[in-house]
Parts: sequence; structure tokens; C-alpha cells
Amino acid sequence: MDPQASLSGRVFDKAGAGLRHLRRLNQLTLGWLARAGRTLHFAAMMLSLAMSPSTYRRDNRDAIAKQLVTGLGANLLWFTVLCALVSVVLIRIVVVTALGYGLSKFALEMVVRVLVLELIPITAAVFVALRCTLPDGVELAEMRRRGELQSLQGQAIEPMQREVLPRVMAGVFSVLMLVAVSCVMSLGLAYLNIYGFTPWGFGGYTRVVGQVFSPAVSIILVMKTLAFSLAVSLIPMASAVYDSVDNVLQGRSKAARELASMVRLFSVILLLEVASLMFNYY
Amino acid sequence: MNETPAEPPVAVNDSSGLQFKAALLLLLMILLVGGSIVYLMYARGVFEATQKLVLVADDSEGVVVGMDLTFSGFPVGRVSQIELSPEGNARMIMEIPRRDAHWLRTTSIFTLERGLVGSTRLRAYSGILTDPALEDGAARTLLVGDASAEIPKLVASAKELIQNLKALTAADSSLDASLGNVKTLTDKLNGKGGALGAILGDEKHTEKLLTALDRANSLLAKVDGLAAKADTQVFGPSGLMKDAQATVVQLSGLLSEARVSLKKVDAILIDAQSISANAKESTADLGVLRADVESSLRKVDHLINEINRKWPFKRDAELKLP
Repeated sequence: MDPQASLSGRVFDKAGAGLRHLRRLNQLTLGWLARAGRTLHFAAMMLSLAMSPSTYRRDNRDAIAKQLVTGLGANLLWFTVLCALVSVVLIRIVVVTALGYGLSKFALEMVVRVLVLELIPITAAVFVALRCTLPDGVELAEMRRRGELQSLQGQAIEPMQREVLPRVMAGVFSVLMLVAVSCVMSLGLAYLNIYGFTPWGFGGYTRVVGQVFSPAVSIILVMKTLAFSLAVSLIPMASAVYDSVDNVLQGRSKAARELASMVRLFSVILLLEVASLMFNYY
Repeated sequence: MNETPAEPPVAVNDSSGLQFKAALLLLLMILLVGGSIVYLMYARGVFEATQKLVLVADDSEGVVVGMDLTFSGFPVGRVSQIELSPEGNARMIMEIPRRDAHWLRTTSIFTLERGLVGSTRLRAYSGILTDPALEDGAARTLLVGDASAEIPKLVASAKELIQNLKALTAADSSLDASLGNVKTLTDKLNGKGGALGAILGDEKHTEKLLTALDRANSLLAKVDGLAAKADTQVFGPSGLMKDAQATVVQLSGLLSEARVSLKKVDAILIDAQSISANAKESTADLGVLRADVESSLRKVDHLINEINRKWPFKRDAELKLP
């Protein structure tokens, strides 16, 4: 066998492998960009539908109310109780440690920063995602697979307004509600832990809270919570609405698809948290 | 709207109940968010009537917007803005709530304290609370107390101290040599010669001194015997002392005799005194006599001169013309 021919053959093989790798990378990037584009498109569509008066017709309103109440009713109590327990433990740890180091005047500020600004929003987002929006996304995908959405269209009912938007709104509202309730509760628990049942610490407490919640920090908290709520609500629904059924046919199981959607969602939540930390502390 | 009558009544009740609950939840969230916003605005002092105070310092390091100005440990104001003045100084613009402004007087002092640990602190001190109140927009200079600025000096002093200690404790230092000497001294003190060996330095000298001491002891013993003998000879029954006593008695007799002799001499002296008085008178008479003789001699001299003038015996007489 000609050695030159074998050498050129190996070179061509390597070049072919590299090219396949590049092609695969290109496909992945294109797929990621397409998904991001579809999610953005879905977000814009949801926003326009939310702004549309026809969405708030009585029948749609019922659907929205049902999703809001069922989505939040199951989570609000449990999350509040769990959050209260964790908050009390964390506040106690911070206060006792700060006292031990003679830094008690920084305890309240640290509690507010750690709990209210950082932990509670991300915990609430993850809680709503796991308990509400990811199952809703799966349910929606199943409905789509069964053709229920198409049958709704056949009944002159817009499925986006009747089935998708209420779930998205319920997700957004759940995150906002849980964050609001838990933050207020944690602030109250922090006051009680540090000062006890007395009104005389209210002035100093208010002053410290005012110092922590500067306009920039407040805006970042609001933006972060909104971004979390939108990510948690939109990504699973967008996956359910846009992911093609071909994926399943190509060998991806339903569970793997749900897991991929969850990982995507948590990656976005992590990125948002990192971005908020950068804005807050740099 | 046509679909609504087709729905069963239970479903209508259900949907109205759900809508009510949803409305309640929305209301709760609006209340929570609205209440939080109002509380934060209150905490940030949005609803408080304030007056301005400008604090000027060389350096605004450690001062941040929102920091408290404390008076007796109580916050009476907060930093609302920090800017650079045309002179290059840091201007901290404080918002002082009107209800707390009476603690600040025209004579108040404002300090900026930077500790080694913890945040920077702005403090106000009002010594005389009856002074006029601080006017709105007043500018005051901050007195800066910086603990960290003292660190380089402290480090330099510590370094010097450590170098001195190092020099003191070095192998060839004076302290080391002194300690070596002390060790030698204590070794000698514990040695054969003891303290004497330590003082004299050499064992030969120590032995010499000890020999000298022994000899001095034997000498003292001899002196002791000698003294005993001398005592016997001096104060004994036939000693010198007894002879001395007899001699003293004799001397006393001799003295009394001498006293009698002296009295006699005294009488002779009185006589001699009278004789000398007489001689003195005689001497006075001799003076008169001498005066007479002198006058007689003067007269004789005058007489001779007269004779010479009248009878010239001088052979080479020379006549001198006027």
C-alpha cells in the first residue's frame, strides 16, 4: 500500500472528524439561538395578550382566576411556613455570630441583605418552578400532544388565551406574591429576633432598613424578582408550546425533555442571580 | 356571552368564588407591595422635613451616601450627597430632620472617625445646648481622626524597637558579654575560692590572702598574750601604775613648793618694778640735764664762732669784693 496515500487518508479522516464536530457545534448553537428566539417570541406574544382587553373576557377571566388560585393556594401556605422556619434559624445564626464578634450593629443589615435581597427571591422562584410552572408546562405539552389545544381552536377558543396565558400569569403572580409575603414576614421576624416584643427598636430598625434599601438596591430587587418570575413562567411554557414532537420520535424520552427544560430554567435563574449580585456589589 | 347560560349554576358559583379569591390575592399583593414601598420611603426619610448641613473634609474616604451622622450615639442626620468642591475638598451634604436639628448648635463640632475595624463614623458634639441653633445650609469643617494613619508611625517605632532589641540580644552584644561575665562570676562564687576567688580573680592570690589571714590570727593570739603580760606589768601589784601614783604624789609636793618659790619671785619682781620706776624718773632728770648741756654747748659754740670772727686764726683769708 502506498504510504503517501495512507497518510493523506488519515489527514482526510481527521479533517472529516473536525468538520463533523464543528457541524455539531454549529447545530447546537443554532438550536440554542432558535430556542432563545422562540422563548423571546413567546414572551412578546404573552405580553401582547396580557395587554389585550379580549383576554379579560369573562370565560378567560375564570380560567385566569382558577390558575391563580390553584397555583398560589397550594404554595403560599407551605412556602410561608418553610420560609419562616428557615428565616428564624438563619436570623438566629447571624445575630448570635454577630454578637459573638461584637458586631451586633451589623447583624440586622446582614440579615436584610442575605435573606430579603438574595435568598428569598431565588428560593421563591425555584419553589414556584418546581411546584407550579414545570408541572404546568408538562400538562400543557400533554394537552398539545393529545390535540386538545387544536380542538379548542376548533371551538373558536383561542388556546393561548384560555390555557397558556393563565398559567404564565399564575406563575408570575405566584413568584411575586411569595416574594412579597416572605420578605415582609422575614423583616418582621428579624425585628422580633433582634429587639423582641417591644416597639422601642422600631426607629433604629427602620433606619437600618432604609439604609439597606437604597434606590439602586430596591430597583435591582424589583427587577430581579420580575426577571425570576418571567423566567420561571415563560421558559417551561415556551418549551411546551414550541418543542416539536419530533424530538420524542428522535429518541428523547418525555422525562429527558422535562429535565432539559428544568436545567435550562435553572441556568437562566442562576445567570439572573449572578447578574443581580454583580449590579448590587460592583 | 352566549355560552354563559349553558354553564351549570354550580360552575357559575365556583367561578365567582375563584374570581373573588383571586381578587383577594391580588388585593393582598397590592397591599403588601404598596405598604412596603410606603414603609421604605418612610425609612429613607422621604416624608421628613429636613434642613441641609455641609461638612467639608480633606478626604471623604469611608463616607458613603446614606451614612448616619450621630449625636450621643443617636442618628440625627444622614449623608445625602458627596461632591468635590472647586478647592479640591470633599463636601458632604447632610440631610438633618427638622425634629432633630435642635441638637446641632452654631458651636457644635463635627468629627470623622476612621477606626481600624468597622465603618467610618460621622459624629456631632454640642457642648453648649443654649447656643443659637445651626442655620439651614451651614457649612462646617470636619475634624478627622484617623487611627489607620498612626499605623506607619507605630510600625516605624516598633521596627526601631525590634532593631534595638536585636542589637541587645546579638551574640557579640554588650548584654551578652555582661551575661557571660556574670556567668563567670557566679561560677567563681560557686567554686573553691568562693566570693574571695571571685574578687581576687586568681587562686594564688586567694591562697596568699588566706595564709595572711592565718598569720594575722596567730599574730593576734600573740598580741593577746602580750597584752595580758603588759596588763600584769602595768596594773599589777608591783606594776608601773603604782610607781606612777607615787611619782604623782611627789610631783604634787614639788608643785606646792614651786608655788611658794613663785610667790617669792613675785615679791622680787614687785621690787624690781619699783626699781625700774625709779630708773624711769632718773631717766627723765637726765633729759633735763642733757638739755642744759646742749644749751651750754651751743653757747660755747657760739662763743668760739664769735672769737673766730673777731680774731681770725684762719691763715688763707681771702678778701672778696662785693
